[in-house]
Amino acid sequence: MFLLLAALPALFWDGPADTAPALRDAGIKQMLVPAERLASWKSVGGITVEAAALEGATKLAAPMVNYRMNEASATSAPWIMANGWKVIRKPEGRYYYDVTGKQAALAAAEAYCYGASAMIKTDTAGLKPLAEMLEFLRAIGGESLPAVADIGYMDDGSAASGEVMNLMVRDNLLFRLVPAADKNLKVNVKLGTKEYPLEDAKNPSTLAHSVRFHLTDEKRSLRVYGSQVVVGRLTASSGHARLHLINYASANRKVDGIRVRVLGQYAKHQLRIADGAGVELMDYSVEPDATEFTLPELKTYAIVDLSR
Amino acid sequence: MQFAAAAPLLGSPAGEPVYRVVTSYKPAAKPGMPGPYPGQVVRVHSENSIDAATEKVNRELVKQMLASGMKALTGDARTEDSWARFISPKDVVGIKVNCSGAPKICSSPEVVAGIAENLIAVGVPAKQIYVYERFDNQLQSVGYPKFLPEGVNIYAVETSRQSIVRYDPKTYVETSFFGEEDTRSNVARLVSETLTKIVNVPNMKEHQASGVTGCLKNIAYGNFSNVARSHSFEKTNTLSFIGTLASTEPVRSRVVLNIMDGLRGVWHAGPFSEMAKFRYFPKQLMFGTDPVAMDHKLIEAIEQKRESEGAVSIFERSMSHVGRDNSNPNTNHFIREPGHVEFASKLGLGVFDASRIKLKVIEL
Repeated sequence: MFLLLAALPALFWDGPADTAPALRDAGIKQMLVPAERLASWKSVGGITVEAAALEGATKLAAPMVNYRMNEASATSAPWIMANGWKVIRKPEGRYYYDVTGKQAALAAAEAYCYGASAMIKTDTAGLKPLAEMLEFLRAIGGESLPAVADIGYMDDGSAASGEVMNLMVRDNLLFRLVPAADKNLKVNVKLGTKEYPLEDAKNPSTLAHSVRFHLTDEKRSLRVYGSQVVVGRLTASSGHARLHLINYASANRKVDGIRVRVLGQYAKHQLRIADGAGVELMDYSVEPDATEFTLPELKTYAIVDLSR
Repeated sequence: MQFAAAAPLLGSPAGEPVYRVVTSYKPAAKPGMPGPYPGQVVRVHSENSIDAATEKVNRELVKQMLASGMKALTGDARTEDSWARFISPKDVVGIKVNCSGAPKICSSPEVVAGIAENLIAVGVPAKQIYVYERFDNQLQSVGYPKFLPEGVNIYAVETSRQSIVRYDPKTYVETSFFGEEDTRSNVARLVSETLTKIVNVPNMKEHQASGVTGCLKNIAYGNFSNVARSHSFEKTNTLSFIGTLASTEPVRSRVVLNIMDGLRGVWHAGPFSEMAKFRYFPKQLMFGTDPVAMDHKLIEAIEQKRESEGAVSIFERSMSHVGRDNSNPNTNHFIREPGHVEFASKLGLGVFDASRIKLKVIEL
């Protein structure tokens, strides 16, 4: 079922068939519709449709940044609404977003980045950004490399554990779920142990900081400098790495440059960036233990392929 | 590479910060700081330099103050000779202004224009002069171009806030103060890649976090990215961060002269000047190559003003004086760290010992 969802996120549209001109104008070429509208949409030319239902799928939060300007906080760091941890916890799940405007493009990027099977319900304003992002993702294709992880995380399935995963994703602390400590990973984390007491999980930020402390920044496979709203995901296999970079504030503003450090030496690179014609990596540098570069602008989503 | 420390950077939030300085720039044979006149400060005061009621600056008098100050610092009879000790026609010169309180208080355009005119007079082409600051909106609010000689460049490092592309990715100070994700503070590319000399033009201001913001802070926080993280909490890390940044090459070698613009001043709630009641008019310029000695004199001036206003010392560390409402001169957002000036002296940036500081005072 849902062939459209096999590799890419897809638009879920519950509007009637007479909305087709708006969809075509936006560049939508395929989508999912409720079963009861399938017949009427089948007769519409230029848009491939399949039937789908939101029921049974898990709703994901609208990806965004909440700057919490009026909220007392221990730090001024913006609060990122990200869903990566949910997909890591349940990669086989079916998901949907209900988002408006430019958030539709961000949702598609996030779903693609984590390989989530996701439907995106949006409004008319979201159609064009979504269509453009889907076109970008389609051109990249569905290459699937294993995720790079520095941390083995033993998830107990609790809400507290989920929030720790959320903080690790947002802080670019790369982890994968393990049933037991994996000595091939740099750090293993289990809540309720001496290093990571359950009490600390009441403040997930503190616990994520503790994980980072044990790992040390020098051993982190990915560092992102210059922005608090960019989340990265790194996958790699035998001399090739793919770095996904998402700007969670993209609905409001672009990021004017980030410096990225990836452990390992990669002499070659290819940047593919959504809505970023002419943007190229700057100050590319291969050091003895790491590769660094500057991405001068990030609107929503970029993929950097690195190879030796 | 300079490495200040090899210990892990991600220390306990409560611990003292550990810095890793990464730079490929070597110190000059004679670094600009403390320069040829360690421990020497010249103060030129002129009652008519600015009208306190209208805030109109007497441009001709400012020119005279600049000439007197420079000659007194170097001992030369001719103004051109005094400038030529620091600047040659081949230099590409940055005038580091301070616009953090602009347009109410900033490096006065009359002072900055006077400096540019002196640079041109010793043979530096106007196109090799850059008046620069980190934030474009603050810089633009001053309106320097109409005062400056034609051809002088106006340059902002961050054309949009937090943009990193005009910072040098290979020259930075790395530290973690409280577990922030971005642990690097990079020097401006203009400083590392273009300028050969820098004339530093701070103001006379109290600063809520660092105690004062004079030469050292304008050099440090005005030339590096991602510095506000040092004062995210009441107890700040300005004590050691300011001197560490200022002593990083090539900054230390290229800042060859400090001219502190004290026509206007701020004695509380700085570095901004949102409350006019804390602004005052010292009507002076200070000159020197030693930023520590000059900032020591700034501390004295701010302390004297605060005492006359009945405000607590900037050295007061009681939490009872920390609070959000800084419209009260005895309440401040942070525990101030005026000790950053003495700390910088221990990094070799200048003379802090009051008994070794020689002050020349000129009245015009």
